[in-house]
Amino acid sequence: MTSSPSTILRKAFPVPAQPAPRGRLAAVAPWLVAACIVGYALVAGGYPATVVGFALIYAVFVSGLNIFMGLTAQVSFGQSAFAAIGGYASAILTTQHEWGWLPAMVAGLAAALAAALAIGYPTLRLKGHYLSMATLAIGLIVHEIAVEWESVTLGYLGISGVPPIDIAGYEVSSDRAVLIMLSACVVATALAVARIRSSRLGRAFAGIAGSEDAARALGINVARYKLVSFLLAAAFASLSGSLFVHVVGYVSPEVFSLHMVILSFTMLYVGGIGTVAGPVIGALVVSVLPETFRSFRDYQDLAYGAALILLLIYAPRGLAGLFAALDTRRKP
Amino acid sequence: MDVTLIGQSLVSGLGIGCVYGLIGIGFCVIYNASGIVNFAQGAFVMLGGMITHVLLVRGELPYGLAILLAVLAVALLGVVIERVVVRPLWNRNAPMFVMILATLAAQIVIERLTYLAVDDQPKTLPVFTDLPPVMVRGIAVNMQALWIVAGSLAIVGLLALFFRTTRTGKAMRACAINREAAALQGIPVHSMLALAFALSAGLGAIAGIMLTPTQYTAFDVGVPFAISGFIAAIIGGFGRPFGAFLGGLMLGVVQAVAILFFGAGLKTVVALSILLLFLFVRPSGILGLAK
Repeated sequence: MTSSPSTILRKAFPVPAQPAPRGRLAAVAPWLVAACIVGYALVAGGYPATVVGFALIYAVFVSGLNIFMGLTAQVSFGQSAFAAIGGYASAILTTQHEWGWLPAMVAGLAAALAAALAIGYPTLRLKGHYLSMATLAIGLIVHEIAVEWESVTLGYLGISGVPPIDIAGYEVSSDRAVLIMLSACVVATALAVARIRSSRLGRAFAGIAGSEDAARALGINVARYKLVSFLLAAAFASLSGSLFVHVVGYVSPEVFSLHMVILSFTMLYVGGIGTVAGPVIGALVVSVLPETFRSFRDYQDLAYGAALILLLIYAPRGLAGLFAALDTRRKP
Repeated sequence: MDVTLIGQSLVSGLGIGCVYGLIGIGFCVIYNASGIVNFAQGAFVMLGGMITHVLLVRGELPYGLAILLAVLAVALLGVVIERVVVRPLWNRNAPMFVMILATLAAQIVIERLTYLAVDDQPKTLPVFTDLPPVMVRGIAVNMQALWIVAGSLAIVGLLALFFRTTRTGKAMRACAINREAAALQGIPVHSMLALAFALSAGLGAIAGIMLTPTQYTAFDVGVPFAISGFIAAIIGGFGRPFGAFLGGLMLGVVQAVAILFFGAGLKTVVALSILLLFLFVRPSGILGLAK
């Protein structure tokens, strides 16, 4: 987005000794809204807790996407593939090979990173649309393998009976325990993204987002940093895939389809691309809103696609941009 | 491996390769006019077959008329996408990746609308001429494959004629070389963009209609076709329409032979491996990049 690099740069090079009261509401409001939604789900339990749980898993996934798209201004349509690799690795290793959840998750992460390296290394040196198409293709390929490789993935049937995560002998299986664990994951993810954004790495990403030629002229190794950004995004995708299978206890090829890709883009743009809070608030709002009107189900992808086009044209900065605009209006 | 079997898959590979080639040309026409890679290209292919099917079965129109109307309707849809999705972003100087994202979103919207308007069942079309396959040295060449090859060659020929001899075709080529200089010469660059979308949508629709009798169409067949067409365009050197056609033929043949050895389930895997191979070894394609 044209606006995101400038916001990133402002954050990356803070003007010393100048507290910014103007930015306070914009910074806090999304987190307050997110906390309210999660808090409500914690109290209510049951179905709301399930919906918010899914939203939190998506928040991890979209935060990863945000590193690649928001901070580095690249596009990938294949993040669902990395979530699928992580998810299937966790499911297969824990159910068929008796692995613990942590080693299985790490193995999935390694496999996802290897796949990201194989696809990213040749394409990231080239213009954006090569990468876009290659990533779109890898999404389809992983889906195809998940369907075809029946001896391991059980095809369309899917793998059920994936055990829940247990931490120090305590099994995280109740609604509330799952919500608390996922919230902790989302907070950790957000902290990691914030840390990345303000680090040397984040500044290199912002430089690439602003202008690849200028970044190159400043001595930034554009291809390498793009690859790092892509790998980071794949890592978060893989972790969210693993979280999903442990929370739901089931995985099938449909879980990681093109639907997931479009949904995550809508979340990213609703929340505000390039911000730390955007993916989290976007994931929560986009997941919770459709639940308020039931008949919406059939029209979901249609609505997400149309909403995405409208957002791209008319509100490319999303909710985070809205909060910021409200703030500026209040204190001119 | 039986020689006839290999010959047989070469023939079917050439047929599908022509279709990939036409889709690849569609990518190039829009890319040359605007620098945009239109990810909704697959929707045109799907709609070509789908609209023809609806007109033929539900509208009970004659086959020829149904085809003509379907191609015109899809070409019109191309202009609508240009007006509603691409033009507003273009006017706002949106970055390239936003444009790609918006066209993919348009693809999803079209898919879903088709799903709601028709249903999710696979549809097919009757073959153009109901004759037994021609036997050449023990290889059966079915009539639809001949239609696809002949139709595609005719279209490529007409396109060459259009770009070389007509005023509009020359104007479009001028836009491809340098948009600003073309605008200074009084060429209406914006209408050329709309025309490029119409042309490329029409090409996609024709490809879809010719192919549907040998396979099937459903609301979600578009994206794999778009990927194959894109790979064809890369093999040919992105932005070279006729290179894209050659690339499509190559891709079709290699894929057909690969299916023979590895099975049809891994079709997309083979296509992507070819893409990666080209991106590694020769990203500018067999003919070199257009410029």
